[in-house]
Amino acid sequence: MSTRIRIGMLRLTDSAPVVVGRSHGIFDTLDVHPTISIEPSWANIADKLTYGLLDAAVMLPPLALASTLGLRGPAAKLIVPMGLSQGGNTIVLGGEAIKESAGLPPGARLLAWLAGQAGRPRIAVVHRFSTHNLLLRYWLSLTGVDPDQDIETVVVPPEQVVPALASGQIAGFCAGAPWGVTAEMAGAGSVLLGTSDIWPFHPEKCLAVRAEWAEANPDGLTHLLRALMRAQVICDKPEQAETVVDALADADGLALPREAARAALPGGSGHEQIHFHGAGAAFPAPPHAIWFLRQMRRWGWIDAETNIGGVARTLYRPDLFSLAARMEDLFVSSAHSRNFEDSDAFTAGSASETSTLPF
Amino acid sequence: MHVAPHQNRHNSCYVLREWCPLNDNRSAAVRILLADDDAARAGALTKVLSADASLTILRPQPGELLADAVAALAPDVVLVDMARPDRDALDGIRVVASNSPRPIVLFVDQDDPAFMEEAIGAGVSSYNVLGVPPPDVKPILRAAAALFRHHQTARSELRQAETRLREQETVNRAKAILIRDRRMAEPDAYRWLRTRAMASGRRIPDVAQEVVAGERRTKDEGRVQTPEHTQETTREEGAQ
Repeated sequence: MSTRIRIGMLRLTDSAPVVVGRSHGIFDTLDVHPTISIEPSWANIADKLTYGLLDAAVMLPPLALASTLGLRGPAAKLIVPMGLSQGGNTIVLGGEAIKESAGLPPGARLLAWLAGQAGRPRIAVVHRFSTHNLLLRYWLSLTGVDPDQDIETVVVPPEQVVPALASGQIAGFCAGAPWGVTAEMAGAGSVLLGTSDIWPFHPEKCLAVRAEWAEANPDGLTHLLRALMRAQVICDKPEQAETVVDALADADGLALPREAARAALPGGSGHEQIHFHGAGAAFPAPPHAIWFLRQMRRWGWIDAETNIGGVARTLYRPDLFSLAARMEDLFVSSAHSRNFEDSDAFTAGSASETSTLPF
Repeated sequence: MHVAPHQNRHNSCYVLREWCPLNDNRSAAVRILLADDDAARAGALTKVLSADASLTILRPQPGELLADAVAALAPDVVLVDMARPDRDALDGIRVVASNSPRPIVLFVDQDDPAFMEEAIGAGVSSYNVLGVPPPDVKPILRAAAALFRHHQTARSELRQAETRLREQETVNRAKAILIRDRRMAEPDAYRWLRTRAMASGRRIPDVAQEVVAGERRTKDEGRVQTPEHTQETTREEGAQ
C-alpha cells in the first residue's frame, strides 16, 4: 500500500537520512511517497506538526518534548519512533582573541575569551528547546560559567548564525553542521569544541511523527522507518559521502555548501562527524529523553510534578523502531556474532550482509 | 479570556487555554509589532490594521533581531511572518534572552483549531507578549491570514511562470545541441525530444535537461583533458 507523508526539515547536514531516502530512490522501493518541506525555522516545524500541516519532521528531541508538554503552545500529540543522528554541532566563538589560545583546553580558552569581552557576550543557540542549548548550558556550568549571568543567550536559526557572527550581532554560537565549518571557512569564527566532546555519541536529531498519523498508518510508518534506516546506513559510509553531499548540495533541495557539508559526514575533515545509524544512533532510547527532561527541569523550564519517566515513555517508541528494524534484519544476530572468532566467516558474513541489503 | 499559567511559578511559559471575547472597554491602544520582511505585504497589512484606531502598528528596524525589537518596543502582540527565521526567538524569549521582562505567550485558540491551522497554513502566526488578558487579536490574525494567502497565490503564479520560462530555455538549448551534434533540422530535434519523453514516460523539459547535462559533462571532461578541446568548446559557446 502506497504511503503518502508530509515531512519537514531544516537546511542542515543531519537532514541527510530523509534527503538520501529520496535521492537514492529508497522511499520508492518501499512505496513511500514523501512531500518534503524545507522550513525556515524550528518554530515552523513545531507549529506545523502541532496543527497537522506536517505529518513528520526531522526534529530536536528537546523540542519534541517541549511540544508534547505544551511548553510553547498547545500540547502536541507526537511520537518519536527513531533517532536520526548523533553529534555534529560545534561551539564557535568569533573575533581574533580566541585564535591566540589555540592549543589550550577548551574550558581555559572559554574563560580567557570571556575575560576579554566587554559585558556579557551574546551566544546564539538554534532554539530554546534544542540539544545545542542544553549541552551548551551543561558544559558552561561544568566550566564554572553561569549560563544565565555570565553570557546572554539569544536564539538565531541555524542558517543565519554565520552572517549574524560575521556582522557582530552575536559573539559566538552553538549550531549544527555545516554552519560551524562554514563560519571557519568564512573567517568569522573559530571552533572551540564539538557537542560530542561534551557527550560522546549524544542523540541529536530524531524523527517526530504526529501520533494521529502514526495510528492511522501503522504499515506506512513501518515502511518509512525501514526506508530511513537504509538511508542512514548509506549516510554512515565514508565511501558514499560524495553521493550524500551531492544530494545535500542539490540546488533544488537543501542547497548546502558542499565542502562544509562533507566535513561533518563520516570520514570528513571537520571537528565533528555525524553518526547516522551505527553506535545506536537510530534507536529511540527513552533514557535519552529522560536526560533532556532532567536538564529542562534543572533550568526551571518544567515543574517538579512532571512525570519525566512517563513523558519519555509516551513519546519515545522503541517498540515501533524494533518492529521495523527486525524486518530490515539490520542487526547482527547472536548466531552471527559467534562467528566473529573465525576471521574468514566474519569477512564473508559482513560481505553477504551488505549484499543482501536491497540497495 | 482565560489564561491558565502552569501551576508552578518557576515556569516561564503561559498557555492560552481558551478563547473568549473581551468584555471590558479598554481604551489603551494595542501595540502590534508587525515583523514581515515582505515590504509590499507589510504595507498592505499596516494599511488594513491602521484603519482601526485602537491599534498602534510598530515595525522592527531593518536588520534588527526580532528579540531586540520586542525588548525595545514592548509590544502587546507580535504578528510575525512564519518565514522569518528568527521567529524561533519568540518561543522562549523570556528565559533565553533574559533581557525581556515579560512572558511570551504563543497565541493559541484551541476553540478554533481549524482557524489556527488556516493561519499557519497561510504563513502567519501571532504571539502575545502580555501576561495579562491579551487583546482580541483574532480579527488581526484573520486580516493577516487573508493578505498572506493573497500574496502566496501571487508568488506561486510568479514561480510557475518562471519555471515555464526556464524549461522553455532548456528545451531550446537541447534543440540547439541536437541540431549541431546530430545535424538535425529544428522540427526533427523537437520530435526527437518528444519521442524520447513519451517512450520513457517523462516530460519533454526533463529529457531536454538530460541532453544539456550530458553536453556539460562532455565539456568538463574535455577541459581537463585537452587544451585544444577547451578552445573549441569556448568557440561553440560563443556561437550559441
